[in-house]
Amino acid sequence: MAETTFMGVPRDQIPWFPTIDYDKCTFCMECDTFCPHHVFERREGDRPLAIANPANCVVFCRACAKTCGPDALSFPGKPETIARIKQIREGASSK
Amino acid sequence: MKRAILSCNGLDKPEGSVAREVAIRGAEATGAEIICPVLLNRAPARYRKALADSAVTVVDGCSTRCATRLASQLKANVERKVLVSDAVKGSGQALESTLALGPNGVALARRIVEELVRNLSAPAVAGEPAAEFETPVEYLAVTHDKFEFRIPVVDYLFNENDVWVRASDGVARVGISDYMQQKLTDVSYFDPPKVDSGVEQFGELGSLESAKAVFEIISPVGGNVTAVNRAAIDNPALVNEDPYGAGWLVEVKLTHWPEDQELLVDAAAYAGIVQRKAAEE
Repeated sequence: MAETTFMGVPRDQIPWFPTIDYDKCTFCMECDTFCPHHVFERREGDRPLAIANPANCVVFCRACAKTCGPDALSFPGKPETIARIKQIREGASSK
Repeated sequence: MKRAILSCNGLDKPEGSVAREVAIRGAEATGAEIICPVLLNRAPARYRKALADSAVTVVDGCSTRCATRLASQLKANVERKVLVSDAVKGSGQALESTLALGPNGVALARRIVEELVRNLSAPAVAGEPAAEFETPVEYLAVTHDKFEFRIPVVDYLFNENDVWVRASDGVARVGISDYMQQKLTDVSYFDPPKVDSGVEQFGELGSLESAKAVFEIISPVGGNVTAVNRAAIDNPALVNEDPYGAGWLVEVKLTHWPEDQELLVDAAAYAGIVQRKAAEE
């Protein structure tokens, strides 16, 4: 089950999860094997790997990208993500 | 202590060819024994003694880190690590695209070995830790099934990435929580940040590795790294044995402490987070 909040912010409002560069990905599945949070999913077809559960991704963790030999995984910038979290928290506290 | 090099054999990527070259040149320069991963896989007894007696330098070609995984599985005493793909990025010069080494690959291998030899003869600066941090005395306990996770009641704040911070006189000591050390199981390697480097809140302060996982240490504070725990580098088991005391990881001179605290939680709130995380596993 996904975490429902992070720093008091609904997790699904924080855009932190990996993006797969399908031009680089070799579908070796190391990231899926590595990630204990089931962010990735193996599928049938031409693109046998997908981000199935983005809200399961641990905010600020980029460990899967470090297992990726072809460097096919990328994440948003941390400063922008922190700014977004602060913005939502401030919006919530001013209500 | 004897030395050994466990390296990627590099038959499918140019970075692997560089890793292999680093192993050969590094063994010549340091007198280390090379551990061939293929033979290790076929006949592990061949290297049992070398692994038991040696400080091991692990050389990975790419981020798949096959050599690192082998070292973890074998509980090798890892002294140094090299990741060629990172060295390529840091060098600003692309490798030749061929598997056979070109001039750029040879030059990079030579530079990596020179740095390795320098580091082995003069360990990285650990900095001077602040002396005034004492081991906590009172803990909250979160229990889940047969597990108990301890959380110090006072002085410690946490981020939701399971990293604690304890601040005093503008300096903060950072480590991982009891919950996270239990989740990682036996920590086998602490890759520390560089002393004197800057870090933003939620930036990376190195990493920990166990046979089970690689854990990025997400900094709870912003500032400058003033010290790393040499004892935890030499004996990563300290992180498991005493995560809030002797197993601390990094000290940071604080630059934005008042703002940083807005995004941290106290022991009671962190206990709730641990309870939830443990229940979701």
